[in-house]
Amino acid sequence: MDLADARGATGLSHDRALYGLRIASEFPAPDLPPWSGDDRAVDLSIRIGRVPRLTNPVLDRPLLQADAEGLCRYAIPGVAAYEVSADGRQVVIEPDGSPTEAEIRTFLFGTVFAIVCMKRGLLPLHASCIRMGDKAVAVAGHSGAGKSTLAANLVARGFLLLADDVTVIDMSGEAPTALPAFPRVKLWRDAMDRLELAVDGLERARPTLEKYHVPVETAFCGEPLPLAGLIHLEPESQAPAGLRRLSAMEGLSRISAVVYRQQMMVRLGLRDQQMEQFLRLTSKLGGLRAMRRVAVPAELDALVDQMTALAR
Amino acid sequence: MGGFYWIASYPKSGNTWMRMLLASLQAGGAALSFDTRIAFAPVASHFADVEAVLDVEPTDLTADELAELRHDMAMLIAREAPEPQFRKVHDAWGRTPSGRPLFPPEVTLGTLYLVRDPRDIAVSWAHFSGRTVDETIAFLARPSQLSRLPTRASQTAQHLSTWSGHVLSWLGAEPTPLVLRYEDMLADPAGALTKAAHHLGLDTDPQVVASAVAATRFERLQAEEEEKGFEMGQMEGRNFFRRGEAGGWRDVLTAEQADRIVCDHGEAMERLGYLATPARSDAPC
Repeated sequence: MDLADARGATGLSHDRALYGLRIASEFPAPDLPPWSGDDRAVDLSIRIGRVPRLTNPVLDRPLLQADAEGLCRYAIPGVAAYEVSADGRQVVIEPDGSPTEAEIRTFLFGTVFAIVCMKRGLLPLHASCIRMGDKAVAVAGHSGAGKSTLAANLVARGFLLLADDVTVIDMSGEAPTALPAFPRVKLWRDAMDRLELAVDGLERARPTLEKYHVPVETAFCGEPLPLAGLIHLEPESQAPAGLRRLSAMEGLSRISAVVYRQQMMVRLGLRDQQMEQFLRLTSKLGGLRAMRRVAVPAELDALVDQMTALAR
Repeated sequence: MGGFYWIASYPKSGNTWMRMLLASLQAGGAALSFDTRIAFAPVASHFADVEAVLDVEPTDLTADELAELRHDMAMLIAREAPEPQFRKVHDAWGRTPSGRPLFPPEVTLGTLYLVRDPRDIAVSWAHFSGRTVDETIAFLARPSQLSRLPTRASQTAQHLSTWSGHVLSWLGAEPTPLVLRYEDMLADPAGALTKAAHHLGLDTDPQVVASAVAATRFERLQAEEEEKGFEMGQMEGRNFFRRGEAGGWRDVLTAEQADRIVCDHGEAMERLGYLATPARSDAPC
């Protein structure tokens, strides 16, 4: 893919919204909702350009580099290299080989956006987020824990989705606020089959993976909402069904399963910011909750009641 | 700089039991809680490790990309963790798509390789997986992957090779592993644990070894599973701790099935002492 192609046919700047940020992107981002907020200046610009390896990195890992000024480079061979400016106000993308636009977005909206958020003082959680009444409830856990499947189940029951996989929290105000992501969930084929969703015409996260971007369209909530609860989804728990409130110490011990790219954030020099935000967040929410994977539909009914109660 | 001790085996060869013995040994011979899964020697390719070490969503990567990065992951963990790391491994010893070792010798402190008579593995795995014995025998004979449905996966797919291929890959690994037979573990658990612990740089106080052996006696594990359950990926409703014995295949396999396994794996079986006499030349191979 050459750089001109990557800019898309129009070459125009796409005015989009993600996590409450106003985004001007040279790179097509059709899954982001159009910006409908105030006429503020652009918060983040996404450009297409050269992204060479950093020559003087202080952090040098297989996929991620950072220099002393805070400039970051993240690269997935065969997909793209991404550069995030030190202030988190600009991302540059250089496609590598002939990737699909969808796979460029897969990593852009994953690790790369997490870096942007962290640099801007926002706290990304490895969580799906659902509107419950006038508030939001987030369900966090490692990949494979079942977050997206649970979110898709809740959407099928008529709840609105704020975010799938990554939920970004704004801790700058009095109450923690969940910021809306984009109107889609990422689902594996076998989960879609169980939910009786068709894969026809859907975009794959990667061309060779049976992981699809499933639009939720009208089931999307595009407005920021106060976060009322945060639940850790335990993948292999033997615990009984339902929500359990964890002590502050237990909650803290699960920070790596709840905060998105928790160790990366520490490596980027943001340990104090992360710890302060996480402790304040769990304290404001009356503690972190935990639950095991939903095994039978009856458990989902009970869980919905408990989640709704949390948001009251 | 730390490094790795790999506890490697083909599935159904006593890896879980050995890790329980070692976990108890490290805890001074204490009984093990089934309430949480055993924490000693987590699997080498767990997604949580991939995400934490490589800053990437493991399920966004292809199998080849993940396999390639496992070398980098091992090197990084060894560089950053000050203390030795213990990992469970079901992969065959081998290389990444670009040819780098999956288990880099320069960060390998030692390897324990557990083996078991493939005729018993066939019976055990048929029970575990819900496959027929014939399907299981065919599985042992073809180069296979260990993987779960994407929505249930918490670790990367693992290349097993055939049973013979697995054995020969680890026997030729660098550095050379300590090979322990499941049958010898059963016959003399204290002796086997002492050897294993010594190789892994762990304390081998005879009293503690005796306590660890007592804490993980088969009847005890079976009773505990009965009470609390032990989910290791086996087919729903089946026990993980089944019989805990050697030679049970004689009651289950037909002569033809047993012969087929010997045909498929005679060379490796002979090297491990599983054939009293060399493979019969009149066997219907």
